[in-house]
Amino acid sequence: MVSRVLVPMEDSEMSDRALEYALEVYPDAEITVLHVVGEPSQMWGHATGIALADDLEDAAEEHANAVFDRAREIVADASGDVDLETAIEFGHPARAIINRAGDYETVVIGTHSGSIANRIFVGNVAEKVFRSSPVPVVVVR
Amino acid sequence: MTEVLLIVGILVAIFVGFNIGGSTTGPAFGPAVGANVITKLMAAGLMSVFFFLGAITIGPQVVETLGGELVQDPSIFTTQSNVAVLFFIGGALFIGNYAGVPASTSMTAVGAIAALGLATGELDWAVMGEIVVWWIVAPIIGFWVAGVVGRYFYPRINAWIAIEGNDGGREMITIDSSGFVPRFRFGENATQREITGAFAVVGIGCLMAFSSGTSNIANAIAPIYGTGDVDMVPLILIGSAAVTVGCFTIARRTLDTLGNDITNLPLTAAIVVAVVASAIVISLSIIGIPASFVVVATMSIIGLGWGRATRTTTLSGVRAGEETRVSVGALTAEEEGEQSPEIGEEEPEDIPKASDLFDPSTTARVILMQNVVPAISTVGAYLTFRFIPIFGF
Repeated sequence: MVSRVLVPMEDSEMSDRALEYALEVYPDAEITVLHVVGEPSQMWGHATGIALADDLEDAAEEHANAVFDRAREIVADASGDVDLETAIEFGHPARAIINRAGDYETVVIGTHSGSIANRIFVGNVAEKVFRSSPVPVVVVR
Repeated sequence: MTEVLLIVGILVAIFVGFNIGGSTTGPAFGPAVGANVITKLMAAGLMSVFFFLGAITIGPQVVETLGGELVQDPSIFTTQSNVAVLFFIGGALFIGNYAGVPASTSMTAVGAIAALGLATGELDWAVMGEIVVWWIVAPIIGFWVAGVVGRYFYPRINAWIAIEGNDGGREMITIDSSGFVPRFRFGENATQREITGAFAVVGIGCLMAFSSGTSNIANAIAPIYGTGDVDMVPLILIGSAAVTVGCFTIARRTLDTLGNDITNLPLTAAIVVAVVASAIVISLSIIGIPASFVVVATMSIIGLGWGRATRTTTLSGVRAGEETRVSVGALTAEEEGEQSPEIGEEEPEDIPKASDLFDPSTTARVILMQNVVPAISTVGAYLTFRFIPIFGF
C-alpha cells in the first residue's frame, strides 16, 4: 500500500486535478503538497523578486500559501480527513520535484500548466519528472 | 504601381510600429502600473510621448545604420522587398506579443533586413558583425553592472528609496481635469516620500520609453528610409504615431503578460534595472547600434538577483548587520552524527537556497527563448527572398 505521496502543485487547473486524483486513489496515504517558487519566467522577474526579498523564507511562503490554501480547500471538498503536509522548494520545478521525489513512494502530477509562455520558458515539467523520477509517477490529465 | 506598393509598405510599417508600442510598454511601465501608481491609459500616453522624443533626437542614428549601412547596396530595398521585410518584422513581433513571449524588436528587424541582404549577397558583414558583437557584449555589461549593484549596494539603495506599491483604491497619481487647468492628484494619505517614490517609478518608465524610441524607431521605418523615397522626419512622425496606436491598444495585453512578470520585482529593483538597461541602450543608439533592449533588461534582472543571492554570509557580514542566509530546509538538513561546519564555511548543497533560483542552464534557456521571435523573422525573410522569385533578385 502506498503511504507517502508527493503532489507537486502550482496555480493551475491540472494540479488541482492531480490532488483530487491522489485523494481519491490513495485515501489512506500521507499526502505532501510541494510548491516550487521562483520558477523561470519571461524576463526572470519572478526568481529575482524572491531573491531580493528581505526574508527569503517569508517571501517564499507568501507565494506558496495561495497554492496551499487552495489545496486545503480541495481536501475539505473531498471531505477527507487526510493529513496534508506542505513543502516549498526553490528554482526550476522539474529539478526540485525530482530532488525530493526519492523520499516518497509515488508522485502524482498534472500534465501541464496553462499558458504558452509558461511552456516555452519552463518546459513541460510533468514530462521531465516522468522521465527522471526515482519513484513511480502518475500523470493526471 | 510603385506608388501603391509604397503606400502598402508604409501601412506594414505602421503595423510594425503598432507592435513595437505593444512590446515595449510592458517592460517600461509594468512596474508603475503594477504598483498601482498610474493607470494603463496614462502609461500609454507617457509611452507615446517619450518614445517620440527618443525617436526624433537619437533615433536617426540607428535608422542610418539599418537603412543605409547594414546592406552594401540600398537599392535592394525595393518597394516589394520592403513590404516583405516589414511583414516578417511585424508578424513575428505580433506572435510574440500575442503569446506573451518578450522579444527584442531590434534583433527581429536586423534579422529580417540581414536576411534580405544575405539572400541578395549584399549584406555588409562588417556592420553585421559589429551589431552582433554588441548583442553579446551589452547583456554581459548589464548582467555585470546589475550583479555588482545586487551584491554590494542593493540594501543601501533600497533603504534610500523605500517605496511600497499601493494595493487597491485609486492610483497614486491621477490627473484632475475637473478644473480649468489639469493638475496632478495624489493618493489619499500619501506621504511626501511616497509621492517622490511614485514619481521615481513613473520617471524610470519614461526613461525606458525614451531609450526604446532611440533604438526601436529604426525597426519600423529603416527599410522605407533605405529606398530614399521618403524623408527621415515624416517617417519618424508616421512611425511614432503607429507606436502610439500600439500603446493604447495591444499594450493592454502586454502590460498583463510581460508587465506582470516585472511586477514581481520590488520597485527598487525595477528602478535599478531600468537605469542600467536604459543607459546601455541609449549609449548604443548614439553610436548607431540597434540594441537588444529586452535581452539587456532580462540579463540585468538576472544579474541583480544573482548578485544578491550569491553573497556568502560570513561572520563579519553578520556583525555588519546583514541578515544571514535563510533557507526553508535549514532545520532538516543536518544529519545526525555530522560535525557542524564552521560558521560561514558551510557548503549548504543539500538545502534549498537563493542561488538555486539562478541555475545557469535554466537562465540560458530563457535567454535562448527570447531569440525565438527574431529567429522566426530572420528565417522567414531569408527563405522568402531566396526561394520566392517575385522580388527580381
